[in-house]
Amino acid sequence: MDITSLKIRDMRTMLDKKEISAKELTDAYLARINDIDGKLESYITVTADVAHAAAEKAQKVIDSGEASALTGIPLAVKDNICTDGIKTTCASKMLEDFVPPYNATVMEKLNAQDIVMLGKTSMDEFAMGGSTQTSAFKKTKNPYDLGRVPGGSSGGSAAAVGASLCAAALGSDTGGSIRQPSSFCGVTGLKPTYGRVSRYGLVAFASSLDQIGSIAKDAHDCAVILNAVSGYDYHDGTSAKKDVPDFTAKIGQSISGMKIAVPKEFYAEGIDTDVREAVMKAAKWYESQGAVLVDCSMPSLKYAVAAYYLIASAEASSNLSRYDGIKYGHRSEKGDSYNDLICNSRSEGFGDEVKRRILLGNYALSSGYYDAYYGKAMALKQRIREEYDSIFNNCDIILTPTAPTVAYGVNENISDPAKMYQADICTVTVNIASLPAISTPCGYDKKGMPIGMSIIGKHWDEATIIQAADAYEKQFERVPAVI
Amino acid sequence: MDLEMVRYLSKLGKLNFTDDELKKAADDMTSIIEIMDTIKEIDIVYEPIKDNHNVYLSGLRKDEPMDSFPTEKILKNAVNSENCFVVPKVVE
Repeated sequence: MDITSLKIRDMRTMLDKKEISAKELTDAYLARINDIDGKLESYITVTADVAHAAAEKAQKVIDSGEASALTGIPLAVKDNICTDGIKTTCASKMLEDFVPPYNATVMEKLNAQDIVMLGKTSMDEFAMGGSTQTSAFKKTKNPYDLGRVPGGSSGGSAAAVGASLCAAALGSDTGGSIRQPSSFCGVTGLKPTYGRVSRYGLVAFASSLDQIGSIAKDAHDCAVILNAVSGYDYHDGTSAKKDVPDFTAKIGQSISGMKIAVPKEFYAEGIDTDVREAVMKAAKWYESQGAVLVDCSMPSLKYAVAAYYLIASAEASSNLSRYDGIKYGHRSEKGDSYNDLICNSRSEGFGDEVKRRILLGNYALSSGYYDAYYGKAMALKQRIREEYDSIFNNCDIILTPTAPTVAYGVNENISDPAKMYQADICTVTVNIASLPAISTPCGYDKKGMPIGMSIIGKHWDEATIIQAADAYEKQFERVPAVI
Repeated sequence: MDLEMVRYLSKLGKLNFTDDELKKAADDMTSIIEIMDTIKEIDIVYEPIKDNHNVYLSGLRKDEPMDSFPTEKILKNAVNSENCFVVPKVVE
């Protein structure tokens, strides 16, 4: 048996029964990373020494009989989540040597359960992209086909889970960055409700949209991680002062009678036939189990990509103004004046896509354009939220494709930013409306590439989307990546 | 988008571009703005009072003194430091 292919809860059982040690589990993953990651390039930094020390500590906790759900479980962390004393690069030359002086709150919570962190995973630079090809360091490949992208921006995390180079991983999702790579890599990815998980220590991209979540082998494992990282945080004023339920509580309950909305615009032109058919087939399966499919509409979807990019880029252009090369980050060797030093540092440190977003954000916010772009985008945000509210008045969950296509070739689309942006059509409205959503595999195209479907829930109702995803996963035969 | 506008936006963002980079950025921005312009066809107005009605805000923290990070640890990430952040001379 290959222990790296196990689910988290199976590892938990084996660890607690002493059928395997935390060190053996950690070594199995590190050996696999050593064998495979040269081809896959999912990790920017592998933290073998930290992992070994954590495994030793975890074993003591297990031996004392006080293990938590994640004690001794080897996890990977997206490289935009701050880790005390361990490089956090955001896959940017700007932060190539940045060593955070503190842990993100999610890391404090995971460390409190004595997880084993295997390393930091690659991503699109500053989480801006959907291919992981804008990474300054590791342009991650898809575990199902090394000639294709893993999606993004959490492409390293999704590929690492898909190739069993970690038990599960943390990602972040601003416009689909957990769900779309999970779809491309044939794994499950959960974007929680905005405010469910603290953003303290997550390098800011678009603060009103960013949310940390989990990528794992299935919905149940995603829920186990969400249980660990959720909750109010003193350091994040947008984290919710709400009780954290057990997100696994509804797993196994019947989905009969569940009302599933199918908004027609998500299945229209622009969605590949294979993708549409696979998601519709899943809808029919739910119906066969007693769920009720509800036809509905989201008329504003056609404006969603524009609204998202205007809002996200406006926030990014402000958030990224902190990178001046002086306090931390890349510092140019050129520049005799304060202004020249900052301009040179930023021009050398940021990649092309990040620069484009800064330009777009400045455009949307600049005098004379603000009302036409940023103001209109904010109005659309309200309209999209209202349309979601209206759909949820009459249903429990919404089912959509996660992406219009399966993973594409590593050299496709990359030189056409406008085309890349439009590919986010299926995911961005969830962030705009602050909703939770989970992507899980529902089929494979003719070439064997995974297709993902997204289940969107009501605010704070992650438990129901986990229940629905788990029900489908239990009968769906997954084809593992062979690498 | 014309070169003058890109030059203006890059100045706002404190970014330098070579002439070739500027032209490429202008081309990219033109196709990106085409997508953004789709929102011009809908007549809709932002209403601040309706905003964030379903986002949970936990309110502001109390204004209390707390320990801050040790100076030494913070300065480790500054390339050029002499127990303080060093910048080019700004006052003659």
